[in-house]
Amino acid sequence: MIDFSLVDWGDIGHATLETLTMTGLSLLFTVLIGLPLGILLFLSARNQLLARRGVYIALSLFINVLRSVPFLILLIVMIPLTLLLVGTSLGVEGAIPPLVIGTAPFFARLVENVLREIDRGVIEACLAMGAKTHQIIFGALLPEALPGLLAAITITAITLMSYAAMSGVIGGGGLGDLAIRYGYQRFQTEVMIVTVAVLVVLVQLLQFFGDRLVLHFTHK
Amino acid sequence: MIRIEHLHKTYQVAHRKITALSDINLHIARGEIFGIIGRSGAGKSTLIRTLNLLEQPSEGQIFIADENITALDNAGLYKLRQRIGMIFQHFNLLSAKTVAQNIDWPLKITGNYTPEQRRQRVVELLELVGLGPHGEKYPSQLSGGQKQRVGIARALANYPQVLLCDEATSALDPETTQSILRLLLDINRKLNLTIVLITHEMQVIRSICDRVAVIEDAQIVESGKVIDVFLRPQHPITQKLVAQSHAFDQDSQIDVAARAGQLVRLTFVGDVTYQPILNQVIASTAALITILQGTISRIKDTPYGQLLIELSGSEEDLVSVFAHFDRYAIHHEVLA
Repeated sequence: MIDFSLVDWGDIGHATLETLTMTGLSLLFTVLIGLPLGILLFLSARNQLLARRGVYIALSLFINVLRSVPFLILLIVMIPLTLLLVGTSLGVEGAIPPLVIGTAPFFARLVENVLREIDRGVIEACLAMGAKTHQIIFGALLPEALPGLLAAITITAITLMSYAAMSGVIGGGGLGDLAIRYGYQRFQTEVMIVTVAVLVVLVQLLQFFGDRLVLHFTHK
Repeated sequence: MIRIEHLHKTYQVAHRKITALSDINLHIARGEIFGIIGRSGAGKSTLIRTLNLLEQPSEGQIFIADENITALDNAGLYKLRQRIGMIFQHFNLLSAKTVAQNIDWPLKITGNYTPEQRRQRVVELLELVGLGPHGEKYPSQLSGGQKQRVGIARALANYPQVLLCDEATSALDPETTQSILRLLLDINRKLNLTIVLITHEMQVIRSICDRVAVIEDAQIVESGKVIDVFLRPQHPITQKLVAQSHAFDQDSQIDVAARAGQLVRLTFVGDVTYQPILNQVIASTAALITILQGTISRIKDTPYGQLLIELSGSEEDLVSVFAHFDRYAIHHEVLA
């Protein structure tokens, strides 16, 4: 018998806040690390502005290696590093380092793809007018890529939210933690249903506002 | 203004050497509109890109205003490119910037102007290309012709010495092409700006160019004044390109054997085009003249005409007819 009166709504509210905090903070660090990495990846590729074969291959390999580790395993493997970085491997703080390391390489690849979509003619026109490389990157490439970058950030935020829930397995806090402790270990199906419903709503909201932002900056 | 000496360009593609340009020599005068025509793959695109070093030449030298640009360092290269405007077939505007911001961008990157100077210059340029009220629009809201006008304004922003046009009208419909060509001609006259353009359409060359070079298989096969190249093309490729825009190269359609008289091709250039010369010839001799084919048109500002006529009459009459043609400097060529 499903009885929602058993659900502690205070716990749900607290866990939702924790999930939003984990997602928000790790998104911030993911973008801070992944964006420059993605730009470098794009620029160092063949026939691009800073074409460096060695740099591209090394970066690409590094990103592929990180991306091939399943997130659940990354969570466990990273525990010593996480302890070193934030002093604990538990709760909201403990979840953030593995979340960032897990998604930054993914985000970097998305950034590379967005930049590759920009018409080569635009770069050529900038070169022809005597723009320097940094002027082309910050004055032309990034503004041109903005709608694509916002879409990539939306995708990454949603991925982070689901990873954040997964971190509940090793005591990560938030909605995932709640679902595992009450919904799974204590057989409170109601809590499971509510946490999943909250996650569905959060993902919908993220996608909705992400799409609105993308549209706002699209002038094509 | 521009001197190209022994320019070569080769690419290495998977252990094969591909020659894109072979021993190109050209001299382009200040204030001239110089056309380079060729079929796709002939090397014209590579040639125009060497003029602002978007392509590095493999050998040879290029002088712009007596400066050897092939010897420039990086800083010199940026400065050089700021002095050379370029427009493109697909416009290559920044879609995230408004029209005004697109035109402002080359001014901004020089770091030479205050915001107020830039704002004034943008207004000036919008007026120059006839886009006065469209400054706040985004490129996606403009027609192809308007986009190219933005491209032109952007290319002219830093008072360039040379404007390079890379198939600038190839993506436009015929009417818009004419309006963009008129704008280029207008700018050329107003600013005494040297323009180098590449195209595969003889029509473009004919409308605005002063001189033309024909490029085929990485080499320049013919060059000279447009009127000469157009009316008396020497190289087979030139003849083919001329024929495409020219109603008069279809002699083959006339059954020469069936004609009793002499077939003569007349070419006349300049004011004589609009004078009643044939009338005078007919009035003064007994020769019979039949016009088989003809064109009267203009190349840039010069009127010209070409007629294919059949002449019949006595020896004496014919001599008198040719004497008339000579007196008016009408070029005549007996075909059969």
